[in-house]
Amino acid sequence: MVLSFRPVVAAALLFLPIALLPFVTFAQAPKLATGTLTVAFAAEATMLDPTRSSAGVDQYFFGQMFEQLVRPDPALKRVNWLAESWEVKEEDGKPLLDIHLRKGVKFHNGDPLTAEDFDYAFQRQSDKKISIWTHLQAAVERFEIVDPLHFRIHFKEGDGSYIANDLTLWAMPKHYMERVGDEAFERAPVGTGPWKFVSRSVKEEIRFEAFDDYWNTENRPTVKNLIIKVIPEDLTRVAAFKTHAVDWIDAVPPAMIEEFKKLPGVVTASYPAPNNMYISMDALTPESKFYDVRVRQALAYAINIDAIIKNVLFGQGERYVEVGKGELGYDSDLKPYPYDPKKARELLREAGFPNGFDTPCYNLTTPREPYQKEVGEAYFAYASAVGIRCKVQGQEYGTWISFGRRQREGHIDGLYSNMWGHGLPGDPGTAWAGHVHSYVPGKGWGATSVHSDPELDALVEELKRTMDIPQRAALIQKIARIKHERVAGGLTTYRPVVTFAWRDTVTFRAWPMAFWRSMQEVGLKQ
Amino acid sequence: MAGFLARRVMQGIISIIGASIIIFVISRLSGDPIAMLLPNDAPASMIEETRRNLGLDRPLWVQYLIFAQHALSGDFGNSYRWKMPALQLILARLPATIELAVCGLLFSVAIAVPVGVMSAVQRGGWIDRIGRIFAMLGQAMPAFWVGLLLILVFAIHLDWLPAFGYGSPSQLILPAISLGWYPVAAQTRIVRSAMLDVLDSDHIRLSRALGTPERLIVWKYALRNAAVPLLTMLGVYFAAMLGGAFVVETIFAWPGVGRTVVEAVFSRDFPVVQAGVLFTSILFVISNLLVDISYGIVDPRIRDAR
Repeated sequence: MVLSFRPVVAAALLFLPIALLPFVTFAQAPKLATGTLTVAFAAEATMLDPTRSSAGVDQYFFGQMFEQLVRPDPALKRVNWLAESWEVKEEDGKPLLDIHLRKGVKFHNGDPLTAEDFDYAFQRQSDKKISIWTHLQAAVERFEIVDPLHFRIHFKEGDGSYIANDLTLWAMPKHYMERVGDEAFERAPVGTGPWKFVSRSVKEEIRFEAFDDYWNTENRPTVKNLIIKVIPEDLTRVAAFKTHAVDWIDAVPPAMIEEFKKLPGVVTASYPAPNNMYISMDALTPESKFYDVRVRQALAYAINIDAIIKNVLFGQGERYVEVGKGELGYDSDLKPYPYDPKKARELLREAGFPNGFDTPCYNLTTPREPYQKEVGEAYFAYASAVGIRCKVQGQEYGTWISFGRRQREGHIDGLYSNMWGHGLPGDPGTAWAGHVHSYVPGKGWGATSVHSDPELDALVEELKRTMDIPQRAALIQKIARIKHERVAGGLTTYRPVVTFAWRDTVTFRAWPMAFWRSMQEVGLKQ
Repeated sequence: MAGFLARRVMQGIISIIGASIIIFVISRLSGDPIAMLLPNDAPASMIEETRRNLGLDRPLWVQYLIFAQHALSGDFGNSYRWKMPALQLILARLPATIELAVCGLLFSVAIAVPVGVMSAVQRGGWIDRIGRIFAMLGQAMPAFWVGLLLILVFAIHLDWLPAFGYGSPSQLILPAISLGWYPVAAQTRIVRSAMLDVLDSDHIRLSRALGTPERLIVWKYALRNAAVPLLTMLGVYFAAMLGGAFVVETIFAWPGVGRTVVEAVFSRDFPVVQAGVLFTSILFVISNLLVDISYGIVDPRIRDAR
């Protein structure tokens, strides 16, 4: 019998393209956005307009729709975003930012992004009637449009925080906003981001649709619709996830993370929150016990931060020493004070307090971070154990935040559980200007500072002026070492860690934008 | 009756004015909103300017007069945080809260009246004993705990009802039960003791002697007389549910007034707090007025006495 290969070859030739079709399709065609993803956030934004925003949490929503010139990528590396390129130059001895915009970027209403839109964003952010962030533009002298895709920001003096804040400006659609006005814009915002606004029901949900003309074809959502539900109560959010009402949740309660890790078909991931916790202490006047560096160091030796992270926070914290891992100027050689209560008692004795002393200790009772109240209690219990006997006073958030501000009469008179975010990837410049630099009324320095050190003041001021990134990193390392040695401007403790959970039918890659809640790359598996 | 109602309306208006003064003063005593509105590094000039723009630099009594003048025309000012009219924010949330409070109240009455009546009728019997245990449990279990328990059982384990949300009848069941659970206990006790009094009264004995069917005596004659104290309670509880639904609203992510106002309290958003509390006060006064009117309907002697 003679076998003919001709039909086999013919069949192979016929079916081969069909067999390869899925691969060809995936390789060449853009990713199709289909389906609806429902997620749950623990907190809700108030404003959808980045310029009028009044709180960091607002980014949870507007961060899905609006974009900046640069942003950190998932590896916390700052990358050009709407800016194709940018550099710091000098003109007449003053710095300027020379920025070229990316071509082909469109707003959700179809308007092309131009330098005029950033000029408009700058004008709005400099207007005290519109924005509470005008001080971020205080060092800017003028905005110059070179051509539709090229502009310059001229500074009166160097402003390093401009760099640290991702060049501060958000792309705002000038023509659309001028046409509809602020109020209508709030109801129907338009940005350049991957998600287009559909509707919002306050205290309930916000709906988005993937923007088909989004400029970034590589890093974009592959699901058509996104619904963000607002579920503030931890256990309800967990229940919503377990009953499949939502497929992704933020802020898994720390006590339930181990349980979530064991759930079949569920993925969990943890990320450092852009908040830096520390303990302020009154080191302003010689009458204060904490004026003596040995007492401040005693406190540093007295508190077992690692144990607090492990046992109070269920591991949901990352210890940091002045500058967190991944932040600009992070120095892995800078080691934390070890837990050594014996050494703490010795230092107290040397400082003239063999029997310890009583001090007021202020704790936040309406936490902004998980278990913050309990962590504060643990700090003060450890302090009391070596002789820094805390008389703990609880404060709710409004009282706490007013109490810490130096604009009020007087200043704190003991220990104070505190926090000031360095952002993501993180740069401590703004925070240090606020709590390491001495308080200078009316000048913006030391808004919550209870410390005064002329050497550190000069270095922090230099840091504020420094826009060159390597120079800035070196300066941060220098300040961090001095600050750590002198326990100046507070004792740094930990950065909270936030954990998300999603079903394995969801694809999600966390971008640090919107405090890791950016739905930049999210989709549903087919 | 008209004179009585006019007096009640006047008293209600005075109560609302009193409530507006109290909430205005107390909210301002609670702290400075500026610290929460501006970033930590905001310069002093901006702090002063914001204070001036919001009118917070003026004497308290001037601030109140301006507030009262605007409030009379329905302008409670813009929310500091949401930057939209505070009244609009409250009114948008009000239907959800009223819906929840009405359903919570209906649930509590639906349980309390039959259990209370049967407990009184079968005094010392098994229904009475169960009713008392039920009442005790009701008062011992706070709404947040009941809410979480209901979510655990009916949403997670049985998967019968949604754990959160607003819009469909099924989403209303668990929040309404959580809100209505606590009043069930008190209402059951009120109905039981009122029924015991009425069932021992002369006119009930006379009805029995005349051979009136027991069912008619209990559910028509006795219950109608026993309803007066219950109605008083309902007015108070309805108002309390409107103002106190915050916990249940938070647990079930229910977009109501309570949650909005409490969040506004924490962020020192005075216009929202004032608009929310004043509206709750108005609803409180209206619900009490309705209770007063219902007295007359239930018991003609009260109406005639007036």
